[in-house]
Amino acid sequence: MSIFLPQFIIGGLFLGGMYTLIALGIVIIYKSTRVFNFAQGWMVTLGAFMLVTLVEKFGVFIGVIGGLAFGVLLGMVIERLLMRPLIGQPLIAALLLTIMLAHVIEGINILTWGTFGYDLPVKLPGQSIKLGGVVISHALLWGIGVAIAAFAAFSFFYWRTMMGRVMRATAEDHQVAQSEGLPVKSVFSLSWVLAGMLSVIAGLFLGVVSGVHYIMYTSLLGAIAVVLLGGIDSIAGAIVGGMILGVLQSLVTGYLNPALADVIPYIVLLLILIIKPCGLFGLVRIERL
Amino acid sequence: MERPAGIFDIRYEQDMAIVRTGPQWAFLIGFLILLAVLPLFTGSYFLGFMILTGIALIAVLGLNILIGYAGQISLGHQAFVAVGAYTTAVLMDSFHWNFWATVPLAGIAAAAVGVLFGLPSFRLKMLYLAMTTLAAQFIIIAFFNHAFPDYFRAVSGIRVNRPELLGIDFRNNEAFYYVVIGIAVVMTIIAKNLVRCRLGRAFVAIRDNDLAGEVIGIHVAKYKLYAFAVGCFYAGIAGSLWATYYRSVNPLHFHLDVSIWYLGCLIVGGMGTAVGAVFGVVFLRCIKELVTIISPILSEIVSPMDAPKIGPALGIISWALVVILFLIFEPRGLAHTWEVLKSRFRHWPFKYAI
Repeated sequence: MSIFLPQFIIGGLFLGGMYTLIALGIVIIYKSTRVFNFAQGWMVTLGAFMLVTLVEKFGVFIGVIGGLAFGVLLGMVIERLLMRPLIGQPLIAALLLTIMLAHVIEGINILTWGTFGYDLPVKLPGQSIKLGGVVISHALLWGIGVAIAAFAAFSFFYWRTMMGRVMRATAEDHQVAQSEGLPVKSVFSLSWVLAGMLSVIAGLFLGVVSGVHYIMYTSLLGAIAVVLLGGIDSIAGAIVGGMILGVLQSLVTGYLNPALADVIPYIVLLLILIIKPCGLFGLVRIERL
Repeated sequence: MERPAGIFDIRYEQDMAIVRTGPQWAFLIGFLILLAVLPLFTGSYFLGFMILTGIALIAVLGLNILIGYAGQISLGHQAFVAVGAYTTAVLMDSFHWNFWATVPLAGIAAAAVGVLFGLPSFRLKMLYLAMTTLAAQFIIIAFFNHAFPDYFRAVSGIRVNRPELLGIDFRNNEAFYYVVIGIAVVMTIIAKNLVRCRLGRAFVAIRDNDLAGEVIGIHVAKYKLYAFAVGCFYAGIAGSLWATYYRSVNPLHFHLDVSIWYLGCLIVGGMGTAVGAVFGVVFLRCIKELVTIISPILSEIVSPMDAPKIGPALGIISWALVVILFLIFEPRGLAHTWEVLKSRFRHWPFKYAI
């Protein structure tokens, strides 16, 4: 039992890292546009598929760069074509639109890549390490490291750079920000671009570790629970919530029941919403008349 | 509301009537007669289409009460349909109940589960509530998938026999058509009237401004639960019919996609109108049938490698794209288009827009 524990924890931290990357995308979009992007998990799947094709055609280096460029393009296209016409409509319309977008992306995935699984032939530098008789794949460590790095980069970006300040100001109130002369439209665009890039990065590591399949999004929906657990507008919440949920899910899979592990995110989601609706680190907004 | 010139309401009942004029009565009765004689002219395929449309309509009417009137967004409606389906299936399979006795019980069971998952609505609204119903979707389906394997039989699925009544065998689609369409018509009338009484007006008040509703004396928490109970009751009835139509119940039937599809019907039709639910369901069902007709033809054109992808991919893209277009270009849905058309027709050749 104890010999597997580090394995489970590392696996859980990797899953948590992937949750963090996806949750960061959702949080960044929500913070600046107040739109909850339901389609983020599907965007990861699309990004991973795109990486498979690009890496096969152009090799690893150009393939990954091209994949990131695709993520940028994806974010820009979604924002410009789908989200901008909805500005001024109730926010729930935007949520519904991202839900429908998720299904369109799923359809595109099936249409282009079919219903089989693919391997992502990317070799990450480094070697598996042995830790007290347990072999830990370096791909997992890479995933965890990148998630932490992404968290650090976004924290720095939000609190220390000019554009980050502009984004925080826009998050407070769109109209006031616009009348102060802030580039609200670029902020919206930028947040979708960042989310698109994050989804490709998450797709890269998930693809390397477990292959790419169009049904991948089902396991990524847990990221929604991560977002709500950590607080919907909190970047620190994304990583803390992601790691908690990832390790919890991994331990439940290992020691209790894999079937239960699939619903763990949703049970956590229900509990956190009942006990503390704003999440662990979320900003408590008081409703005023 | 507009009406033709020369029609005056002199009593309160006239002012409140849904069907006001002679031609409206004629259209309504003509439509009902058309529904009644349809099996005489059409084949089993079309009746299957109508039955599925009727079942989806009942579910969407419930969702319409929940979202369109009470403003409580549910992303897990198909899970409540599943509760109804499993109630009917288990009662008939393991306890040998009569089908007709299980239908109301299926509704009540779904309503009870709906109230349970509606409890978070005391504290939450909009996005957060939508996420709890998403959790409900996965938790309920996982429950049917893994709990009580002796009763729910997730691996093999439960077989359900079509019922019989007064010597009429409902195993063929012609007879079952009348059951589904009959229940659908009754449920539509109830839904249309429910939202015009005290209950429905309270729902609308909560949707538009819950604080103002509380101030004028509506017990908001209680009425939110009522909304969940009524909406999920409809889902349960739909589930009961669903189980008997497919003659088997399997957790795979109750996927998140179907919940989203119901939501799409509501967006296409227009939220908060009974006629919108009907339009939306019929419209998206027609698209679904169109795709099942077109995709084999397309599969022959493309290379054999791509052929098996066409069906499932088009099946998803088609309706989701239609819903996106509606969200962007006509958020008020087909119900609004219908009103505009009626108004244009009345005012022709003048162009008063409503």
